[in-house]
Amino acid sequence: MIIDSNKIQKVIDDSPQDKKQLIMILQNIQLEFHYLPKESIGLVSEYLGMPQSTVYSAATFYKSFSLVPRGENIIKVCKGTACHIKGADLIIDQLYAGIGIKPGQTTKDMKYTIEVVNCVGACAMAPVMIVNDKYFGEVKCNRATKLVKKG
Amino acid sequence: MSDDSNNINLTIDGQQVSVPRGTTVLEAARSIRIDIPTFCWHPKLKPAGSCRICYVEIEKARTLMVSCATDVAPDMVVHTASEKVLQGRKAVLEFMLMNHPLDCPTCDKGGECDLQNLTFKHGVDDSRFDFKKYRHIRDKNSTFDDLRIGSEIIRNQNRCILCYKCVRANKDIFGEQDLGAYQRGNITEINTPPGEQVDSLYSGNLVEICPVGALTNTDWRYKIRVWNTQTVDSVCSYCADGCNLTLWKDKQKIYRATSRRNDNIDEGWICDVGRYGYQVPMAEDRLTTPLIKKGDSQVPATWEEALGLISEKFKKIKDERGGVCIGGLISPNLDSLSLHTFSKFFRMVLNSNNVDFRAGYKMLPEKADDLYSKLTSLPFKISDIEKSDLILVLDSDLTKEHPIVNLRVRKAVTQKNASLFALNPITTQTGGIATDEMVYNIGTLHALLNGLCISLIDQNLTQYENARDLKNKLSPNTIEEASRISGIDVARINSLAKAITEVKNISLIAGELLTSSINREQLSGAIINLCLLAGIFDKGQVGVLSQAANSKGAEKLAVMPHLSERSILKIKQIWDKYPDNDGLALDQMIRSSIKEELDSMFIIGSNLMLEYPDGAVVKEGLEKLDFLVVADICETETTQIADVVLPLSTWVEYDSSFVNLESVEQKFKAAIKPVGFSLPAYQIINKIAQGFKTPLFETIDELIPEIKTLLQPDDSQNSFENCAIEYIEEKQNPEFEIPLLITNELHHFGYFTEKSNSLSNFCSEAFLEISPGLAEKLDVKNGSIIRVESEVGKINLPVKISEYIDNDVVRAYRNFSASPVNILQMRKRNIDRVKLTVVEGT
Repeated sequence: MIIDSNKIQKVIDDSPQDKKQLIMILQNIQLEFHYLPKESIGLVSEYLGMPQSTVYSAATFYKSFSLVPRGENIIKVCKGTACHIKGADLIIDQLYAGIGIKPGQTTKDMKYTIEVVNCVGACAMAPVMIVNDKYFGEVKCNRATKLVKKG
Repeated sequence: MSDDSNNINLTIDGQQVSVPRGTTVLEAARSIRIDIPTFCWHPKLKPAGSCRICYVEIEKARTLMVSCATDVAPDMVVHTASEKVLQGRKAVLEFMLMNHPLDCPTCDKGGECDLQNLTFKHGVDDSRFDFKKYRHIRDKNSTFDDLRIGSEIIRNQNRCILCYKCVRANKDIFGEQDLGAYQRGNITEINTPPGEQVDSLYSGNLVEICPVGALTNTDWRYKIRVWNTQTVDSVCSYCADGCNLTLWKDKQKIYRATSRRNDNIDEGWICDVGRYGYQVPMAEDRLTTPLIKKGDSQVPATWEEALGLISEKFKKIKDERGGVCIGGLISPNLDSLSLHTFSKFFRMVLNSNNVDFRAGYKMLPEKADDLYSKLTSLPFKISDIEKSDLILVLDSDLTKEHPIVNLRVRKAVTQKNASLFALNPITTQTGGIATDEMVYNIGTLHALLNGLCISLIDQNLTQYENARDLKNKLSPNTIEEASRISGIDVARINSLAKAITEVKNISLIAGELLTSSINREQLSGAIINLCLLAGIFDKGQVGVLSQAANSKGAEKLAVMPHLSERSILKIKQIWDKYPDNDGLALDQMIRSSIKEELDSMFIIGSNLMLEYPDGAVVKEGLEKLDFLVVADICETETTQIADVVLPLSTWVEYDSSFVNLESVEQKFKAAIKPVGFSLPAYQIINKIAQGFKTPLFETIDELIPEIKTLLQPDDSQNSFENCAIEYIEEKQNPEFEIPLLITNELHHFGYFTEKSNSLSNFCSEAFLEISPGLAEKLDVKNGSIIRVESEVGKINLPVKISEYIDNDVVRAYRNFSASPVNILQMRKRNIDRVKLTVVEGT
């Protein structure tokens, strides 16, 4: 995937030029491109006058940042204790059957990415699936694919 | 409670100890020889408390405390070896070994590994973590996670215990940002950001401080086990800082060099030139026998033949035309014994003052240079730099010239809040942390210094009584004019003048550009004026830093003509006589040779063809000699044209000493036997003297008192007077307008470091550094070939666009035998100027 550096620069330029805002700038970039393109590390470090190693440390430390391309829609399947027992694995299997990818993978058309997350704090609704920040509780595994399309 | 408010009394393992406030428990314990193990602690780094092996039990504390990051408190009771502490240490080790591969049999650190030793001492032989160890594996086909993170550094993340010593030292001490810790938890790794490399001049230190085998050097890896080596105390033979080294050898081979910490000089850090410089003596193409020129080729000969020929020729010249028709040049990278014997041979045997050591200098003064030698004889201590409130660096790219002085300056600025002012013709790495880095127009330093003096006088900031009188002697004599010539704003000059007068302790450091400048008397005078006006002689130190390992020694041992009265007296005192001729400095020797007044030269350890800053002149000069004797360690451009070539031993092959830039004599020991039939310079010289039936010594012990006398510091007080300084613009040929700076490359020092594989891996070919602006104007990229042309020569060089140059100055690097840039230089020109044309098709 080719990302135009100018586009990244534009996102960066719209953010405050303050070292404290590093995480926010990285979040803004991720919001725009769904991941942190390789060039963004260098551009952010230049913009904030920070060493590349520091920016890269922050970007790799937090799990919510991704350095590999992700799809437009992020599907998060909870695999915390409650969801696990309530059949999170079945949801994952069903999604594989429906859109053909496993956790950590992205569809070729860059539409979907599946991620497995630990507890999201909604155990009462287990099993939980989150599609683009929309929470679905008590997911029936045969409806998982439909929910994704809906989300 | 303690009686002295600054001292704190505490009890460690039943012993009473009193230490200053702010000391850590660890340091307090070590001060009474109680050992507490550490991984992440380093004497020169701030505590991190990341490894937790230094646990101690402190009464009334709820938990075990990390002693490296806990300050002492009054009446503290500390136990360093209680049952609880030992249990804690065991637990820490168990965690460290959780994912550690325990590949000690193939690990180069084995035998000197802190983790191995501590596990041996405290560890249990089993682990409760019986799951599969986490593995960092990059290459699926390899069992090892070997990743090259620098040109000479291999990282194995599996062995890493995450003490962060490398990351911290790299950032806090060396000011480099190219190493960091990425990811988190189990999978944390020490690495460079994508696409970068650890290639600073100090990179080898990161390997040395690694407590485990996570970072290893390419030169030491898989070559030998540490317990099969012996160590030898040595001293670095490259720059004048004089770092102390330990050489690790077995039989006739040296395997590595590490720092031998000396807090007065290096504080335990050495640069990569010193670290990998031991590879030069290990070069495979060392000269092993004397060679005598027969017809067009040089054929191997015995020492008797070679020495016989030399004695016979020298004797003939001396008898027929006088000893003054023989010139001598010796490298300042050689030891004190050799330098002294060389001077003694010329002065006592040949009765000539034609000795010199300054191969890389342009025109040398034809009389004793008073101002410069007065300045260089002032005491200067590297360790005093950190006591300064203000550091003024003149004409010196410290990182390249004096890496360890650079670290002290950095320490003073970053840890002790000193302010730094750097006055250079191009921006430098050291200047990056400066309060103000003044990049003046090249060749106008004395105008700028005049401006500074005028600023001090005009703002009434000086207590110097003859200030008004001095002002009349200066040209330019208005600050506006000085500002116009140097290109530095009046406001910046004024604020520097103010800063100088406001502080209590100043270090003034001047470097190579000044030392090797044609104008060095003028520049020295300008510095003296400044020091008088600002009172720097009374409230600080002035260091005009010498260049090579023993340059200071060569100056003190009088290996040069045109000596001061004081030095002549000293020589008369030890030898009872002194030749009554004037003597020739190196460039005079070369000119005399061209005029056929000099018949012969004796060169030791110097590749004059590459070093002398006028390639055309030196070629003509050396070729016109009737008889040229060159002693060197390998074949060079200069040995190729010699009539007799003698194999020279290197500093690792005999005992002697170097005198560093602080005038401290440091002894070093032989690590190996002389390679082949090579001999130390002092023995070669003595053997030639024996041919004259006047041996210089029976045993070297006879020379020691002589050297000691000459090296003694001058007791007589120097008195300084102000001097007239006039800036005269050098005439320029309008066709050649781009100023060219020629210096040592970062990872090279002298012509022989090309022989070191590791140093060549950092940089193996010459290049031309230009500013991004100039690159745009010429429309060139990194690697494009440019023809660099001066009035006297031309050469093609690849371009490197440098972040350190932002004006129209270009910089090239000397001593690359494939690209002898000295052919561009002219000995009479202060600033060499060139024109650049892009070679098409690159």
